[in-house]
Amino acid sequence: MIMDAQETYISRRQDRFRKAPLDGQALKTLIYAGLTWLRTNQETVNALNVYPVPDGDTGVNMVLTMQAAYDEIADSPEQNFGKMIHVVAHGALMGARGNSGVILSQIWRGLARGSDEIEVLDGRSLVSAFAEARDTAYKGVVRPVEGTILTVAKDVASAAENILVETDDPIRILDHVVGEADESVERTPDLLDVLKKAGVVDAGGKGLFFILEGMLRYINGQPLDTPLVTVQPLSEMVLEDTLKTIEPGQEFEVVVDFRPDNPLDLKEFYSDLEEMGTSIQVGEGEGLYRMHIHLLTEKLYEPIEYTRSLGTVIKASMENLVEQMDEIESRARRSQVDVSPVEKDQIAVIAVSPGYGISLVFASLGVAGIVEGGQTMNPSTEDIMNAFENLPTNKVVILPNNKNIIMAAKSAAELTVKNVAVIPTRTIPQGLAAMLRLIPDGDFDRVVEEMNQALEEVHSGQITTAIRNVEIDNVEVQEGQIIALLDGKLVCSAHSLEEASLDLLVKAEADQYELVTLFFGADISKQDANQIADTIRAAYPNLEVELQDGGQPHYQFILSIE
Amino acid sequence: MTGETTPIGSIHVSPRAVATIAYQAALESYGVVGLASKNLITDLTNVLVKDPTQGVEVHYDGENIIIDMYIVIEYGTRIKSVASSVANTVKFHVEKALGMPVNQVNVHVSGLRISSFD
Repeated sequence: MIMDAQETYISRRQDRFRKAPLDGQALKTLIYAGLTWLRTNQETVNALNVYPVPDGDTGVNMVLTMQAAYDEIADSPEQNFGKMIHVVAHGALMGARGNSGVILSQIWRGLARGSDEIEVLDGRSLVSAFAEARDTAYKGVVRPVEGTILTVAKDVASAAENILVETDDPIRILDHVVGEADESVERTPDLLDVLKKAGVVDAGGKGLFFILEGMLRYINGQPLDTPLVTVQPLSEMVLEDTLKTIEPGQEFEVVVDFRPDNPLDLKEFYSDLEEMGTSIQVGEGEGLYRMHIHLLTEKLYEPIEYTRSLGTVIKASMENLVEQMDEIESRARRSQVDVSPVEKDQIAVIAVSPGYGISLVFASLGVAGIVEGGQTMNPSTEDIMNAFENLPTNKVVILPNNKNIIMAAKSAAELTVKNVAVIPTRTIPQGLAAMLRLIPDGDFDRVVEEMNQALEEVHSGQITTAIRNVEIDNVEVQEGQIIALLDGKLVCSAHSLEEASLDLLVKAEADQYELVTLFFGADISKQDANQIADTIRAAYPNLEVELQDGGQPHYQFILSIE
Repeated sequence: MTGETTPIGSIHVSPRAVATIAYQAALESYGVVGLASKNLITDLTNVLVKDPTQGVEVHYDGENIIIDMYIVIEYGTRIKSVASSVANTVKFHVEKALGMPVNQVNVHVSGLRISSFD
């Protein structure tokens, strides 16, 4: 019954959309819908990376590419479909970020090329535009890898061609294409082995699917601001970011873990939750469900009562969002770090830091500027340049402190007129070791050489939680396990932080060294960190063990072994 | 180059072998439509023999591995993004195969291929 009502609703919405011509302005709205839906599901796309460390940024890159495309047309009054889509393609090209962004921009270019003379889009031209998009996308590479966004673009084009015999209504074509794109994404692990091994689908393909689906959802009158009825694996639920989306009036955050008595009807479950509040997320792992919601004080107990009616509630927690927001704001105020002033002709060091505590340590060592960034939020070339362009000296050293940021640091060095050296530090400990060699009034080349040499003298350990099952370097990792990396290489997986820390130190041959500094991250309490430091002290009585509040995300510990 | 000693002898990997890995990796990178030789004479010989390392130069000075890639990019893609993803892909694949860090990958965009104008 409910299904029927929904179908009627959707078909009525589609009819309404059909009344207006599919011209440039309609395209603008659809692009905006695709962008919005992609952004809503950005985290889902980011989570689809094949390495067990959280470093996925495909979602971010695709959103930025689409945003650039939309910005180009946001104020345009253009009526002509063909002209408008060319502007979209231009914007996507200019804003293309990352590999997936480049491919996405080629897809837009193909769609634009296929719609050259089109004033108002019809079904037949939509189908040929999809075909042109596929051809253009494939032209961009000599040896196309199947099981990627390319495959999805190809399947979309064939799906469009196939349905053309049944209908030439562009909305019905889009409807069909979205369903096929979904299936095509699900098939990507069969075509690409790395995806299968990591147990994920292709991130770029999934992103393309979200863009198309967002357009369809808009036409169907479905909301674009709550993530889909998909259930994520428990370990992938990112609840930290939910605070960013607090709507005015939502005062409490409630998280309930429960085990339903009967299989959950997700559609119904979601729509019941939507009546209570916003920012809904649902996760599942081995029959245990976790739901997250933001709501008003007077509805505080509703989600708990509701889940009790479905099964057994195992744990419920609630937090006052208003208080939390105040806390976050005051923390942001505190995170202003005082950096050292530099004088003319002195060497200024700019360090990239993932957390407040680490920034403080860098500041105490005398850096002239700090750029925030790390594993999942790489600063842009511009962010890095801004940190040193206005300093009164021409001698600048950059410590990227992450392998993914070295590139941006190097382009910053190329773009400026200043004399900039990038020390390729891949970890925080390397950055700190290099920093200790700084002589602000020393000879630039000499200091840079010294700093480079320092990298060899320190070993870096990182401890984090695996976000999926994988096997790399002969280490088998289960989702949710604690894993340790030594100098960027996965060396062990363990069931506890303690076990991982000790195993890492064994692999690093810590008994050959003198000092271990533990930077504990934002996800771990000082007490827990202290306990682990004590365990290490007990195991290595000759080693000096220091504990520092690093405040970095994702990594429970960053270790410097020297 | 890249010697390693084992109890029963040593292992040498030639720059040419490294170049082959880099060449394959580049061809799978999106936006790259080919690799270009540095000069005309090698270009002419390539007509006769298909070289699996064309457009790749590998330098090893006993310590650092430096790779130079001469690539042709599809017209209409963002050159900067393509080039940086080539550098990352090549570095990743060579390091994976070799187990040694690659110090530099320099990407030279030798030309653009224009399949069709917009």
